[in-house]
Amino acid sequence: MTQWIKVGAVVLTLVVAGCQTARGRHESNAPPQPTQPTPPASKPGYGVVTPPIGEPTPVAPTTPVAPGTDSVLAPPTEKVLPNFPKSADAISGPAVLSLLRSAQSSRAAGQYAQAAGSLERALRIEPRNYFVWSTLADTYLRQKSYDQAESVAQKSNSIARGNIYVLQENWRVIRDSRTARNNAAGAAEAQARIDAIQQILQPAVLPAVPQ
Amino acid sequence: MKAFLIKIRYVVVAALILLISVGVIGFSIYLTSLDKEIRARFAGARWALPAQVYAAPLELYPGQALDSATLKHELERLGYREQPEPQGPGTFAVTKDQALIYTRAFNFWDGAQPESRLSVRLAPAGITEVNDAVSGKSRDIVRLDPMLIGSIYPQQGEDRVLVKLTDVPQMLPRGLVAVEDRSFYSHYGVSIKGIMRAAFANLMAGHAVEGASTITQQLVKNFFLTPERSLKRKFKEVCMALLLEAHYSKDEIMEAYLNEVHLGQDGNRAVHGFGLGAQFYFNKPLSELHSHEFALLVGLVKGPSYYNPRRNPERAKARRDLVLQIFNDEGLIDDAEYKSAVELPLGLAGKSDGVARYPAFVDLVKRQLKGQYQDNDLTNEGLRIFTTLDPRAQEALEKQITEGLPVLEGQRKMKANTLQGAGVVTSVDGGEVLALVGGRETRYAGFNRALDSRRSIGSLAKPFVYLTALQQPQQFNLTTILPDDPISMVMPNKDVWEPHNYDRQNHGPQPLYMALAQSYNLPTVALGLRVGATEVRKTMQLAGYSGNVLPVPSIFLGSLDAAPVEVAQMYATLAASGYQSPLSAIREVETKEGQPLSRFPIKVKQTLPEGPVYLATWAMRQVMTLGTGRSAYNVISPSTIVAGKTGTTDEMRDAWFAGFSADRVAVIWIGRDDFRPMGLSGATGALPIWSKVMRDIGVRGLDPLPPADVEEQLTDTATGLKADEGCTGAMLVPYIRGYAPTETAPCASILAPVNSAVDWLKGMLQ
Repeated sequence: MTQWIKVGAVVLTLVVAGCQTARGRHESNAPPQPTQPTPPASKPGYGVVTPPIGEPTPVAPTTPVAPGTDSVLAPPTEKVLPNFPKSADAISGPAVLSLLRSAQSSRAAGQYAQAAGSLERALRIEPRNYFVWSTLADTYLRQKSYDQAESVAQKSNSIARGNIYVLQENWRVIRDSRTARNNAAGAAEAQARIDAIQQILQPAVLPAVPQ
Repeated sequence: MKAFLIKIRYVVVAALILLISVGVIGFSIYLTSLDKEIRARFAGARWALPAQVYAAPLELYPGQALDSATLKHELERLGYREQPEPQGPGTFAVTKDQALIYTRAFNFWDGAQPESRLSVRLAPAGITEVNDAVSGKSRDIVRLDPMLIGSIYPQQGEDRVLVKLTDVPQMLPRGLVAVEDRSFYSHYGVSIKGIMRAAFANLMAGHAVEGASTITQQLVKNFFLTPERSLKRKFKEVCMALLLEAHYSKDEIMEAYLNEVHLGQDGNRAVHGFGLGAQFYFNKPLSELHSHEFALLVGLVKGPSYYNPRRNPERAKARRDLVLQIFNDEGLIDDAEYKSAVELPLGLAGKSDGVARYPAFVDLVKRQLKGQYQDNDLTNEGLRIFTTLDPRAQEALEKQITEGLPVLEGQRKMKANTLQGAGVVTSVDGGEVLALVGGRETRYAGFNRALDSRRSIGSLAKPFVYLTALQQPQQFNLTTILPDDPISMVMPNKDVWEPHNYDRQNHGPQPLYMALAQSYNLPTVALGLRVGATEVRKTMQLAGYSGNVLPVPSIFLGSLDAAPVEVAQMYATLAASGYQSPLSAIREVETKEGQPLSRFPIKVKQTLPEGPVYLATWAMRQVMTLGTGRSAYNVISPSTIVAGKTGTTDEMRDAWFAGFSADRVAVIWIGRDDFRPMGLSGATGALPIWSKVMRDIGVRGLDPLPPADVEEQLTDTATGLKADEGCTGAMLVPYIRGYAPTETAPCASILAPVNSAVDWLKGMLQ
């Protein structure tokens, strides 16, 4: 719960700061597009009061700007972080969001099979929604299906089109799955990926929230 | 003398007493045993309940691509009735831009969904809004009750859907009593009055014209006795009826009767009970039947085969109308309803053979359950099995195969019914089997070609040869030039193997992708020989091929056998970018009480590397645009990108097409059961059917975005070297990152400065 409050606060900070928010298109395959910073979309309820759905990685209130660039309004350079959606809200239709919500409450109640069932329903509607695959991976992790957790996280990575927020979350699932299976080398490799992503997300990175 | 007579009298009397005593004791023992039999049968599970198999439910949500005509069709398939104003579950009203649906309640594996009234807004592109029609609140997603597509009953077995008396509309039990046994609620199991009346009628006629069985006796007859006709059996029946009445209430007996009674035959499946009867004849639950439908079912009790409404509709209607008359006399329906009911047609669902069932698909379901459940569990426990069958995809596949084969036979001047066909449609991500056809007689269980007909796959094997090569980017890429020269090899068994191109021509050196697109045999064999048959076989196995084949060069051209479902598995792995999901036909299994038993979750495992799979898929897209599959775009919209491969075997014994879009994989096989040549190739036999199926199911086109480890570069396809705008016929070709050709083609050198534009383009794409 505190996690949500934190995330909500983070998002709120972002909006108040007038920073560029992650707002993708309502389309699961929207390629990331390095665009000019845009004001947050005015869709009611978006990201401000409701916590984002789809197991977002709690990330810092980072302005998606490369280190060394001192203005948010600086013209995009090669190093500007693309406008990656940070939560499923940005790329999912209402049906999928609704199913993600029920998956979330099943997960909260420890009913992982139920949660996986809802997520599978969501995937039938939006088979390329990498947030849903990512949440499914984490659900398998909690179910201690480490093999599937890692495979599904890899699958999410493969369709995430470089969305570093999702990649970071997936690598965390992979790391934990490998750790659980005593694959220390593999876990270290996953950790290295996470470190690299966090480098990009510098300067301010919140410590990982324990699961 | 007198004394002697008295003595005799005593002996006789004693003997008589003894005899009577023995008789009474014997009869008591007999009754006790009958009593035991009755109690054993009535306690606990009274029937072996076949597992019920459900299709995937239709989900309604904003954004679902479903127009009003399709929605109407789907609702009708579920047995929903169109009414000006929906009244009660299972009814709907639909216009071009709105549907009002009164949904049925259903106990899904993850919770019960109550009946609800929905208002659905429709646009030509699909659903725009789903609202609760009562509260006006918007609903994000609603499932309709899933269609019952079959049951798993024992061979020669009884099939039934249990109903509870409390859930049954009163018209049914009261109607049955009126028609079958007027004194049911007052007699003790047998009706003396009834027997007298029957005896009188039979006496007048000189032979048996009327039975005198009460409902209790009928139940006993069905439940405990063999159909033989004898006095002994009649005696047993009467005893048992009396005992049954002594032990059980009228309601219990009526409920058992409702579930036991025989109402029809469907091949070797016996239709028992009114629950299944309603499904079998009207494709809807008992609670939704109207008086004329109840009357038909009640009338059937007298003789389900004699009054079979599908075979003898006139006789059945006369019987139904007679029953309606009795309903009217008894006050179950008023005069007005009687008058309108007799005017109604029988209203049967399905044309000649019951409601739509999918024996080939249910066969797959059974096989998948084999390892986990005993046969007895499946035929006796009333399990509820929720499957992946998509009725829309199944309908499209059945339609295109059953309509396509006669067309092909006509074209080739073949006798009707010479050809056979099979097909599979699956989802890409998750590997769900959405549709399965095992032969052209789709309603009858028979040889299931989709699962059991292992035939040579021909050129369907080629993508795996190319994929094997493309996994060695330092050696091969899509524009590697391959020779198209004659090949002659001495095999280990001393046979000489001399493959030819399909057209027996040589086409000169070919870029790798073109050799696949045109399905040239000789460049394929040349390539296969360079990577090795063992490696190619390994790629096939990683894609999902499970057969046993020797790693010999002839496998490059597909001399290995596979069933259509196995081909679907192999191509599904390609479609899912190398992430294999074992094909599955089941989502969940529940007990009859609705308790979840097992789930079959989506399984994913990366078995093939993503980059090379993307390249192979790119070449398979060229099959569709400039190769052997290009006629597909006469049917499919050219804006929908699909990938696939034709397959034709020696002397045209098998015609295959396998391919996929972003969300669907489909495999079609056409051939003859006697393995004789039929003069059809993959392109002329299977592709037309495949294309129509893909069109009908509304597939989503492939997303031409390369994965991270793939880069694209303009290439001169004639030389396989780096090109620029100066080169005519240059193509933007994907390569494994870092392995794109660096040497500039002759055509590009003149306009060297333009290279910066290519770099710019590259920058954009990265």
